Amino acid sequence: MSSSNSSPSAQSTSPQSPILSLWKAYTQNTSDRLKFIDTFLVFLMASGVIQFLYCVLVTNFPFNAFLAGFASTVGQFVLTASLRSQVNPENRSEFKEVSPERAFADFAIGSIVLHFFVFNFLG
Amino acid sequence: MWSFYTFILLIFGFVSVLDAKSSSGNSVLVILDPARQPDYSIFFNGLKEKGYDLTFRAPKDEAPVLIEDDIPSFAHVILFAPDSKHFGKDVTPQALVQLLSSQTNLLIALGQKQNLVTSLAPEFSLILPPPGSSLVSYFPERKEPPTVVPIDVPSSSKILSSSSSPVWFSGVPFALGNNPLVFPILSAPAEGFAADSEGSTADALFDAADKGGEGLWAGSQLAVAAGFQALGGARATWVGGVELFSDEFAKKEISKGVKSGNQQAAADLAAWTFQESLVLRIDSTTHHLVGTSVPKEHYTTNDVVEYVAQISRFNPSKDKWEPYSGLDDLQLEFTMLDPHIRTALPPVPGSPGKYAVTFRVPDRHGVFKFVVDYKRKGWTHLQSSTTVPVVPPRHDGYPRFLSAAWPYYAGAISTSLGFFLFSAIYLAGDPREGNLRGLRAKSTKAQ
Amino acid sequence: MSTAYPLPTNLSTTTVTNTASLLRIVALGLISAAAIASRLFAVINFESIIHEFDPWFNYRATRVLASQGFYEFWNWFDPTAWYPLGRVVGGTVYPGLMATSGVIYNFLHAFHLPVDIRNICVLLAPGFSALTAWATYMFTKEMKDESAGLLAAAFIGIVPGYISRSVAGSYDNEAIAIFLLMFTFYCWIKALKTGSALFGTLAAVFYFYMVAAWGGYAFITNMIPVHALTLMLMGRFSSRLYVAYCSWYAIGTLSSMQVPFVGFQPVRTSEHMGALGVFGLLQIVAFAQLARSHLSSKQFQNLLTVSVVAMGVVGTFGFIALTYMGWIAPWTGRFYSLWDTGYAKKYIPIIASVSEHQPTAWPSFFMDLQLLIFLFPAGVILCFRELRDEHVFVIIYSVVASYFAGVMVRLMLTLTPVVCVSSAVAFSSLIDTYLDPTQPEGEEESEADSSNGTNTAATPSKKEKAKKPAASTSALNDIVTAATSQSSSKSKSKGIWGLDTRLIVIVNAIGMLSFFVFHCTWVTANAYSSPSVVLASTNPDGSQHIIDDFREAYYWLRQNTPQDAVVMSWWDYGYQIAGMADRPTLVDNNTWNNSKSHIATVGKAMSSSEEVAYPILRKHDVDYVLVIFGGLLGYSGDDINKFLWMVRIAQGVWPDEIQEPNYFTPQGEYRVDDRASSAMKNSLMYKMSYYRFAELFGGNNAMDRVRQQTMPKVGPTLDYLDEAFTSENWIVRIYQVRKEDLLGRDLKSANAFAQGKKKKKSKPVSRRKAIPV
Repeated sequence: MSSSNSSPSAQSTSPQSPILSLWKAYTQNTSDRLKFIDTFLVFLMASGVIQFLYCVLVTNFPFNAFLAGFASTVGQFVLTASLRSQVNPENRSEFKEVSPERAFADFAIGSIVLHFFVFNFLG
Repeated sequence: MWSFYTFILLIFGFVSVLDAKSSSGNSVLVILDPARQPDYSIFFNGLKEKGYDLTFRAPKDEAPVLIEDDIPSFAHVILFAPDSKHFGKDVTPQALVQLLSSQTNLLIALGQKQNLVTSLAPEFSLILPPPGSSLVSYFPERKEPPTVVPIDVPSSSKILSSSSSPVWFSGVPFALGNNPLVFPILSAPAEGFAADSEGSTADALFDAADKGGEGLWAGSQLAVAAGFQALGGARATWVGGVELFSDEFAKKEISKGVKSGNQQAAADLAAWTFQESLVLRIDSTTHHLVGTSVPKEHYTTNDVVEYVAQISRFNPSKDKWEPYSGLDDLQLEFTMLDPHIRTALPPVPGSPGKYAVTFRVPDRHGVFKFVVDYKRKGWTHLQSSTTVPVVPPRHDGYPRFLSAAWPYYAGAISTSLGFFLFSAIYLAGDPREGNLRGLRAKSTKAQ
Repeated sequence: MSTAYPLPTNLSTTTVTNTASLLRIVALGLISAAAIASRLFAVINFESIIHEFDPWFNYRATRVLASQGFYEFWNWFDPTAWYPLGRVVGGTVYPGLMATSGVIYNFLHAFHLPVDIRNICVLLAPGFSALTAWATYMFTKEMKDESAGLLAAAFIGIVPGYISRSVAGSYDNEAIAIFLLMFTFYCWIKALKTGSALFGTLAAVFYFYMVAAWGGYAFITNMIPVHALTLMLMGRFSSRLYVAYCSWYAIGTLSSMQVPFVGFQPVRTSEHMGALGVFGLLQIVAFAQLARSHLSSKQFQNLLTVSVVAMGVVGTFGFIALTYMGWIAPWTGRFYSLWDTGYAKKYIPIIASVSEHQPTAWPSFFMDLQLLIFLFPAGVILCFRELRDEHVFVIIYSVVASYFAGVMVRLMLTLTPVVCVSSAVAFSSLIDTYLDPTQPEGEEESEADSSNGTNTAATPSKKEKAKKPAASTSALNDIVTAATSQSSSKSKSKGIWGLDTRLIVIVNAIGMLSFFVFHCTWVTANAYSSPSVVLASTNPDGSQHIIDDFREAYYWLRQNTPQDAVVMSWWDYGYQIAGMADRPTLVDNNTWNNSKSHIATVGKAMSSSEEVAYPILRKHDVDYVLVIFGGLLGYSGDDINKFLWMVRIAQGVWPDEIQEPNYFTPQGEYRVDDRASSAMKNSLMYKMSYYRFAELFGGNNAMDRVRQQTMPKVGPTLDYLDEAFTSENWIVRIYQVRKEDLLGRDLKSANAFAQGKKKKKSKPVSRRKAIPV
């Protein structure tokens, strides 16, 4: 969520308020369902960060396993994010041909294909 | 009845076994002037006793031919014609070399005259002294002329049996070139030198001293008998003078009561040349993974492989091949363009004739060869090359699941689990959402 | 509204739609049949044989796959290639082609149709070209409409640029790769248009298939990110783009690493970093969009500026640092040579020596594409007019492909699909305009009365015979009506009057299309259908004379040499020797070991004298040496013409022993007659090519037809090789390497002795050595 608020120290106090107001607006405006998707996204991101840190700090020896694990989190993340954007009612105008049900079906197929490749690459 | 016949056969076999035979055939062609034949009767009779079939031919004769239809007619050829100028049409230097390529052994005597033999000698990397010169030595003091020289047989010689009597020699010494296939059997004495017979010895010495000793035809660097092992296995022996084999020298005494060693030396030279002594062969070679006994079609990198060679030596007195474990410097090379592994191939104690070594195949894939290449002067050359591919491990030869990768396994599995949980809960929440939307739509429609 | 020609009025819309679909299906079927049929010239003229060089290796690999199963193929270690290094085929090959043939083979055998694997390999390319036509149809349908799609399918079915790499017998990666290229692009465009992750996943799966099939997959890897980046820069970021790109990238990259030959390259090499960068950028932009929806604009602006700047700085420095530290491999030589055309000749002569890597000459554009090449820019401009997301893709593809096609002849193949698509769009727009039966009403008569005479002459043009002036006067009409500021009535103020105008344009268009067909068929039959293993020429009386020297020589090798005899030749012929003669070779077309050893060693052996070359030959256990010599027949693809490349490549590794200027005359010419330099005359290649050539001409001077030079009366002699075989027209010459001399002499002296020459007398070797003080 918070990406680069460490650098703008030269800014005025306004950087704080965009973040805070962003958080407030977010909690107010998003539906429960989207929040649920977002928790899954956060979990995936955390898992990916852990794997990446392990790879960088400890060893990257079974590089294919690292790539498989990391790619599974990243891939799942983007698929879920896509699902989120497709399900979000605000985006209905963009997705004329994809109903929310179809969106979920696409998400499921994509995830299954992703996991198939991940497990093939893992070992 | 049957037992009687076997008895007869046994007698014959027994009789033939008593004689020392060559490992490569019995037929010998002797090319020499027929008038001189009786002079070498001791030598030739000795050969006949051993079981060789001798065929005599004058140099000018056309028959029997050396090579007929590209097949050599004899197993061995003795060329005792150093004074002949003209030979039959089929006796040419090229033909003699072709004989060697067909596994025919040659025993050739040189002389002072220039003829076919002296023009063939340089091909064998022998450097002959100027024409007309012969070996001259004034030591040890003796009543024979200086051109008749007694030569001691070195005790380290493998070919000449080290009897204590020196050998009478009269003829041409020669120097040996750089070819590794030629080696001296009997070197000239250290006090000997090559000079024109009688009279100009002093001049020769003076000239040589003048040049500072360069190009001097003297000393033990010259040989009077040299052996040459051709790459195909055939042997050729060059002797500087044919008198070494003569009866006269065989009977001449070195000193009171001590017989000369000529007869023995002549027999030894013939034995070596005709593939009786110092003859080895590789019976078989195998290779296999340690732990198995069947050779594999290809090996994987880092396999542990055992290579076994079986080597025999020909025993002339028994006329058969016996396993021989006396080679202590045999080497094995595991080569792909360059030897990647070079190790000793020691004999296995307890198994006569068996040489084995175990080693690890290098970590490099490719087409390798097991190469045994044993060349020692006097012994038969042993060469063996077995080609075997070395392949990298199969895709399932690597360890599949590594313990170092557990966070990744955990991550991947947790992602899949999370996905399933998420979809389950999402779909479970679906009708509620759908109903909600349906309600909302209905309400908006109604309005 | 009036129509130029009568339309039937009693048809319901469903009938029209159904008939249209039926016609489309029939048309696609006919196009597929035409595509397949036009690729069969080689099979009909000669026989069902694998062509060229590379396909022979693919064919061998497929035979292993078909006979021993997939896992044996996957683990196949070929000890007969690159002797004695061997080749790990499983890890150095793109398995897509072989796997496809294997699947088809097993499928047919499951139905008990015993089709030979060779026929499958030969006919695979035409079969897939029919699929390519269909994929192009789908792609162009997204661009414009179905009629354009049909035109594009027809174009790509018969265009020579694509046929050259997909005739029956050309069993190479491009045979299936172009189909996969078009289909991946189609899935990408569809994913972009609909925003569906399903199409994104489908694009990723076909991308994986493409990665498994062809090394040119890097083209897709960079095209799609460039497209996405352009859309973002144009301000057209949308959630659909996000969905499509992310689903394609995540699944596609992961799956592409499954191919062993690709391995970890997608995260390690610079060529793949573009896709990763765009991926990251998309995440940032999507997140920014999300944040924007929750914030006021000013706050958002601040946040955006700060984060973009920070990201950009961090990203650039990170990329530079990683490349510097070696984690990310720098650009490979092959890609450098695409940008700097002189690079390869200086540093990597192997790449420069391949004939397919030479820059394209102008005539080959016309020969391969004929009328498409000038319709192509028109199509691109039409895309500019519409400028939906997919049109941006076509524009980018055209620009990029045009550049690359100009750099390398081989890359004409990637230009061909986009040329077909855009020229189909342009052509179809033209035909649409002129087939459209609506024509404007004659109401302009009253309004245009006040305008000048050209106008009055234009208006009642139902019977007017003016052809193109009709179009131009209608434009003039347009200007005039705008000038008089009369608003147009219900009917259009511009259009095409009359049946005759339409007929003329349509007939002209059909004429051009038939010329196109005629040209394509002629080019295919004459230029691209030769198997290059078998040459054909015409006798004086016009009948065909087959020159089958290659196969004659390869089969001689196969039947007259021991199974493990090693053959040395230049790398061009390695695959063919392995495929047809079935003997181990030293180097072959894979050219993977181009810097050290092997190819340079072979080059050194060919360009050195016999004494220097002989130890190299013995070290590598070479039994036979094979050269191609075209001097008798006039075959210009022989080894003497390629000789300078051998010298250059050897010089790259042994610059002190081999220098290229030594092989030219002092005046700088490349001669092979008596003025040739001594290095040239003593080289093994020269001796092997011209050995006994002078004897053919019965006392006259021999004439080398390719170099057009007269040879000296006395030809070269060979000491270390024996001539083993020369084919009928002297094209292939095989020599046997002599074993070491029996007496340990060097072979030159041994030869001299055998011919009766006497050796010189020499002095004894001095045994004195200097005593170190």
